[in-house]
Amino acid sequence: MPKWLMPAAIVCGVMFVLSPFVIASADYESTMGLVQKIFYYHMPSAWMFLISGIVCGVASVRFLITGDARHDRTAWAAAELAVIFGLVTLVTGPLWARKAWGTFWIWDARTTSSLVQWMVAWAYLILRRYGGPGSEKLAAGLALFGTANVAFIYVSVNYWRTIHPPTSVVPKLPFTMGFPLWYCVASFALLLVVLLKLRVRLEEQRAMLDSLYLSLDEQR
Amino acid sequence: MPVLMRTLAAVLLTVFCLVAPVAAAQSAPSTSQPPKPQSEYVPIDQLPPQDQLPAAPLLISAYSFVMIVFFLYVVSLARRLTSVQRDVDRLGATLKHTGKP
Repeated sequence: MPKWLMPAAIVCGVMFVLSPFVIASADYESTMGLVQKIFYYHMPSAWMFLISGIVCGVASVRFLITGDARHDRTAWAAAELAVIFGLVTLVTGPLWARKAWGTFWIWDARTTSSLVQWMVAWAYLILRRYGGPGSEKLAAGLALFGTANVAFIYVSVNYWRTIHPPTSVVPKLPFTMGFPLWYCVASFALLLVVLLKLRVRLEEQRAMLDSLYLSLDEQR
Repeated sequence: MPVLMRTLAAVLLTVFCLVAPVAAAQSAPSTSQPPKPQSEYVPIDQLPPQDQLPAAPLLISAYSFVMIVFFLYVVSLARRLTSVQRDVDRLGATLKHTGKP
């Protein structure tokens, strides 16, 4: 286990404990009021959801090109984190929308493509779990579709008619709302790095276990 | 089986934490008189209290859900890591005992 992992995990934990106080200090949005504060967890988790998809796709491409199992392990870990961050995004968003839009869900381009992305991540995990030998290459191909979808999710709010806020909102935020947002983005990014490293470590241990079993079989 | 039961219990607890405040927020008291039809647009902050959806339960549900999901995931990851590490140590010791690496 790398030396930086434990300090990073402690810093991440402290940042999450302090995050409600930072968010409470943010200004109230004039039309939505209190419920808008869901934004400070919703948007960072959505970004980490998309970054996990990109990491999974890039690692899958490298695995397909080089055949190096390390990239496959990274892709698998990133797919699992995409499911976790996607779950957080797809639950916090509707809770915010219930108050802000009057409905939990709308089938617009952003929400629908996000749901598809989440299902692609699930499909990757199911394929790896039950696909048998050779499923790692099939799953890597599936991850490429997920990565292509990430770009679509990001730009969808700018090209299709929707009530979801466009991507231009974040750069225009005043400091009193921007600081809590970037604080939460940093917290979620650190959490993603720590969890990704731990999840990759689990796959490394499993690979070591398999090689030990093979050694034991050779002895018998 | 106990692991399955614990997982099920955790899922049920999560769903309850999520659904209960929302359900409570949505259960507005019913009135016997039908509401008067409105003739024009009414701003949302001028709605009568029974027609307003409180934000706090939704906000608390969202933050609770995030914390519960990450907590359960970290616990799950720790359990899996511990289990695999234990197996690696046990097999490593067995191989060492037999004298072949």
